[in-house]
Amino acid sequence: MKKYDAIIVGTGAAGGIVACMLAEAGKSVLLLERGRALSFSDVGRDHLRNQRLAVYGHNAGPELMGNPRVFVNPQGQPRLVKPHELDYHNNAACVGGGTRVYGAQAWRFHPHDFRMASKYGIPEGSSLADWPITYETLEPFYERAEWELGVAGDGRTIQHEIPRERNYPLPPVPPSPHTVALQHGARHLGWGTTSVPLLINTEAYGGRASCIGCKYCVGFACPTDAKTGTQNTVIPRALATGNSELKTSAVAETIETDDRGNVIGVSYFVNSSGTPQRETARSKRVIVSACAIESARLLLNSRSSFHPAGLGNEHDQVGRNLQGHLYPRAYGLSPARVFNGIGPGVTIATIQFNHDNPGIIGGGMLADDFIKPPIDFWYDSLPPDLPRWGMENKKFMRDNYTRVMHVRGPVQDIPNPEGRVTIDDTVRDKWGIPVARLSGTTHPATVQAAEFMRERGEQWLQASGCERVWSTQPGLILSGRQHQAGTCRMGSDARTSVTDEWGRVHNHDNLFVVDGSLHVTNGGFNPVLTIMALAFRSAEYIARLI
Amino acid sequence: MNSDTLPAVVDCLIPPDDFPGAYDAGVCDYIEQLLKTDLAEHDEFFRAGIDAIDNEALAKYNAPFAVLTREQQIATLESIESGAVHTSWPISSARFFVMLVNVTAEGYYSDPQQGGNRGCASWVMTGFEDVLES
Repeated sequence: MKKYDAIIVGTGAAGGIVACMLAEAGKSVLLLERGRALSFSDVGRDHLRNQRLAVYGHNAGPELMGNPRVFVNPQGQPRLVKPHELDYHNNAACVGGGTRVYGAQAWRFHPHDFRMASKYGIPEGSSLADWPITYETLEPFYERAEWELGVAGDGRTIQHEIPRERNYPLPPVPPSPHTVALQHGARHLGWGTTSVPLLINTEAYGGRASCIGCKYCVGFACPTDAKTGTQNTVIPRALATGNSELKTSAVAETIETDDRGNVIGVSYFVNSSGTPQRETARSKRVIVSACAIESARLLLNSRSSFHPAGLGNEHDQVGRNLQGHLYPRAYGLSPARVFNGIGPGVTIATIQFNHDNPGIIGGGMLADDFIKPPIDFWYDSLPPDLPRWGMENKKFMRDNYTRVMHVRGPVQDIPNPEGRVTIDDTVRDKWGIPVARLSGTTHPATVQAAEFMRERGEQWLQASGCERVWSTQPGLILSGRQHQAGTCRMGSDARTSVTDEWGRVHNHDNLFVVDGSLHVTNGGFNPVLTIMALAFRSAEYIARLI
Repeated sequence: MNSDTLPAVVDCLIPPDDFPGAYDAGVCDYIEQLLKTDLAEHDEFFRAGIDAIDNEALAKYNAPFAVLTREQQIATLESIESGAVHTSWPISSARFFVMLVNVTAEGYYSDPQQGGNRGCASWVMTGFEDVLES
């Protein structure tokens, strides 16, 4: 049996980077991906079946049949959920993972985000904690992610809050008509505004073309490959070394251990011949990068007499603190048309409410939104008192689709240890592997912050000249979805964390988790650039070990 | 199911003005397609709902829904939406009405490949696409 230097499970934001760094350091790598490599036409332009609006299905995996999860609602009732349902908390399952179909906002976390417990104290019922590393430790790796993959933005507008050594390699997206209105409103309120950093080529970069301003970023693939993911950057680099092997439609079942409990490889199912086959590969190191829910599931499913509760789970920590972001949303009706049909649509943000809000723990970033297809707008953005049908509804769509301004943003999740991933042994996927069971909610302090941010959103739109504003805020629910994080948090104490600061699982020398699962807290920002920065840092460390 | 009922119903939900109504935009084709695919499990439920709308019209106006005046049609749908039904429904009228309104909007506003939104009419109407692009 061939023995690899490393097996990496998952090709998303983290797995792709770790594969590239190890392969370029001359290590032999097996990269397992449960989904397929999806072309632009595979992802398609279906307005009802995509990762942003998934009424009947979605477009980037996993398949609707044979991949259930169990969701337990806040009243404690479990039910089976399919991948396109909101309560599944899906992230795309394909080469590139979520980065294949994301909106690509590329924020760094705020320095305070790494020391939430020290700054705010620990509210009752929360597992709020500091990260084992500081912003300053991660700063060079943020810069590396920005330059190696290519981020567009204007660092000068951000560095008063989030200091940085070097600007972004690409200029920010140009303003839209609504940008001007929001800039004016913020100035009136005395608020600072920033450009929105994006993993999108605003000029040709890295051998790929520039954005053509189409209206399909979130939920779709990019027609010119200007949107940057691991599938069009680090994974091709990894494969070009000749040191790495990518297996798609390869579903990890368990991490294998020897008769002394040491990690020796991974067993997975492939379907290359039409019938499912179980294969096992051996390696010196195993790196789990399957996203917060699936990474926890794989560790918990890797049970043996040495590890009866799963790997890394001696202290019942794996799968806890599942968190994403609550998203308050505000809408305002502008007196003039503000839509110019040029994507991405997100252009301006304020980061001055991420911290130091009176009576609030944390806070969040607020920004305008990606262009919404009309059916998404109809489902998401109409005023609550508008009739859902009839001439009045049609007239609103006709007159106001181009006049509604959108402001929304991720609120820092205050982690709740009861918001968690466990295994349901009574429900199996089509491979026979026990599925993830999701239960609990975020902490009530998150909802307080979300309510505060909802009000800030309305305030911004009012000051920007909107005739009427309306808004929503999701309340006390489990957060996760595309921003899922926290289930294998880093820390120095094995009783309250799963890995050390490098992502190495406590009490193992060769098992790593590298993805959003490591986030002790998830910032009030889209998390992907932090996942990437941590991946560069861990990969550099792992390469030195092998 | 009376084949005139669904076209009349969707045109109340999204009526014609100088942009097409739901029927002319192909919404019925969209719904028929959906009932054979993603909503196949709900086909009977949906058709029972359309029949029940006709029964409401017969009970209230002694005529099928499609031949009522536009005002009578709207009044019939409004009472169904508010739960003030005059006949006994074999299914939940509230659940059916939400599904009816949603699939009609989906057929009208989503991409034409789904069978509705003929000629990208709603995208031109909203300004999502300008005339040249569509």
